[in-house]
Amino acid sequence: MNEPSDLPSQATPPFSTVLNTAAPVKPEAFSFSGRGGEYFRIWIVNLLLSIVTLGIYSAWAKVRRLRYFYDNTSVAGGSFDYHGNPIAILKGRIIAVVLLAVYNFAGAASPLLGLAAALLLVLAGPWLLWRSLQFKLYNTSYRGIRFGFRGSLGGAARNFLMWPMLASISLGLLAPLAYQRFKRYQHSEARFGATHFSFHGSVGAFYKTFLIGLGLWLGGIIVIFVGFGGITLIQMVHAGTTAVFSLMLMVLALYAWTFLALPLWMTLLQNLVWNNTRLGEHRFQSDMRWGRTAFIVFTNVLGVVFTLGLYTPFAQIRMMRYRIESLTLLPASSLDDFVASSEAHGSATGEGLGDLLDFDLSM
Amino acid sequence: MSVLASYYDGRTSRRHQVTLEVVAGVAQVRGEIERDCPIGQLRVSERFARAARKVSFPDGAYLEIIDGAAFRELLQETGHQDSLVVRLQQSWRHALAACAVLVAVVVLSYVYLLPLAAQGIAATLPVAVDRQIGQGTLEFLDQHVLAPSQLDARRTQAITARFRALTAPLPDAPDYQIVFRKSRIGPNAFALPSGQIVVTDEIVRLLDDDDALMGVLAHELGHVHRRHLMRRLIQSSAIAATATVLFGDVSAVLANIPTVLLDLKYSRDIEREADDYAIAMFKANGLPRQKLALVFEKLESAGKDDPASPYLSSHPANDERIAHILGAR
Repeated sequence: MNEPSDLPSQATPPFSTVLNTAAPVKPEAFSFSGRGGEYFRIWIVNLLLSIVTLGIYSAWAKVRRLRYFYDNTSVAGGSFDYHGNPIAILKGRIIAVVLLAVYNFAGAASPLLGLAAALLLVLAGPWLLWRSLQFKLYNTSYRGIRFGFRGSLGGAARNFLMWPMLASISLGLLAPLAYQRFKRYQHSEARFGATHFSFHGSVGAFYKTFLIGLGLWLGGIIVIFVGFGGITLIQMVHAGTTAVFSLMLMVLALYAWTFLALPLWMTLLQNLVWNNTRLGEHRFQSDMRWGRTAFIVFTNVLGVVFTLGLYTPFAQIRMMRYRIESLTLLPASSLDDFVASSEAHGSATGEGLGDLLDFDLSM
Repeated sequence: MSVLASYYDGRTSRRHQVTLEVVAGVAQVRGEIERDCPIGQLRVSERFARAARKVSFPDGAYLEIIDGAAFRELLQETGHQDSLVVRLQQSWRHALAACAVLVAVVVLSYVYLLPLAAQGIAATLPVAVDRQIGQGTLEFLDQHVLAPSQLDARRTQAITARFRALTAPLPDAPDYQIVFRKSRIGPNAFALPSGQIVVTDEIVRLLDDDDALMGVLAHELGHVHRRHLMRRLIQSSAIAATATVLFGDVSAVLANIPTVLLDLKYSRDIEREADDYAIAMFKANGLPRQKLALVFEKLESAGKDDPASPYLSSHPANDERIAHILGAR
């Protein structure tokens, strides 16, 4: 059976500032026991049933999928659990489809009506994301204790509407700040039972990470431009051809580089966010490495393309496994002392809409 | 049969070492916690290859099974059966069968179901929606690609009047408007969902034959009349949605490739339908079908001089179309 707590901790030792409590508690690595082959079977059956039932089954498929991921994720000898109710998710999806249809129809009927509908959707966005966060966390449990989200609607409006707008007005200069505010809201307002998470990532650290990511990406772009530009010039001067081929290669190189730089950024951000998140006095450590992430992303894309999509479930499991197994919980004391909280739970409407409108709420 | 498990009470995170046994339909938890419950009230989590199974009590407490092999035996003894979907998911044979059915469903939908559904949806949408979608397109084209026509006004009026005098092969011909433009994209003619048929000076000059021009106009009227643009819009949206479901996690760019590729078949189907419409229109008005074939012959020779002729892309092969026009009864 999966008892990851019994595994010797072969991971690198945590930060030098380990909190010294009376009883030293060993780090608990997160483990993921899902396998591509098994998930492929679940995925293909879900896909078939969803298509045959014209999407109605997709709510049940979502619950099955999440249960698979949650049940196979464990830390300190316990696994996670998902409690979302498919009927609630289905209701959310139906409302989402109706709203989108109304929105599209309004746009087609008259530009003014479309504008009004778009404005309404923008204003409703924070509310939907807020409900979606509540639903997702409330329906997640570990050791029988449910997670929860206490953030206010005002906070959602500030973090999902005001900051992103300020970031776009400032031409992205405020984007790292906006992202820090969003992650701070998402993580510091979450709770596990009655114990609150907290977030300590500074704005400066986010700017640094954004700058590193952007700098590396731009550096690569410049190298590619200079390199291929030189080749193209030489070809044009010497052979007098139009050098279409080397231009095409350049576009391909730019695309591939962007593709590899994106995982770098994703990796830096996951590490930044989780190394600065605490649950009560317990801390987390994330040590994703860029090379490994880039390798997984790159081979995943090749796999999916060359199997016409059939590799998708294997690709998802590989990425999920790496992200989860890069995480370690650094307990400050026994994990036996969390208590449940008794607060209202979220609705599925937000979650269903969040799904359809393609908001990324993943951690 | 006694199964080793961890018990969590749902109020604290404390783990209790227990054993589970079933006696006469009642689950007995023994060890650090003692509790009995009829098995009818318990819920067993789905079977996965490596994940620990969970047994939940009605009040939210649950057991996380440690001894999986013993628990499987216990389930067998108590007559627990996995749901149909779980059994499908756990067998490779069934999963591969599901895969085959899925491919069949997708192919059949693409070839038959989707065009039919798109036609149905287009038929229920009021024509006003087409007009709304098409509005602004001509404005945009005028700003970027098209320039005012330099043809003689008497010539264009004559062409329009001649075409207006022809009867459409199907009843309820929609409102349409023929507009002449000079273009930067060579000889071309196309219909907008708003009912405007755009004819370029270049194609008028190239054909230099009013009967052949009637053929071009009839073909484009066919697109308007059969609401081809709306149907394609619906079809490509459906393909895009499916592609996003299948490839969405990989890359937005990759997800759009199948949409473009799969749309080509519909594009050719639609062109054939518009050709048939033009044939029917020529027949109804007693025009010689050879003139219709002439359009493609001239475009073909023009296309040879300029390989980027846009009228030819995404259309069926010209030889095939000429043969179809001349052979159609």
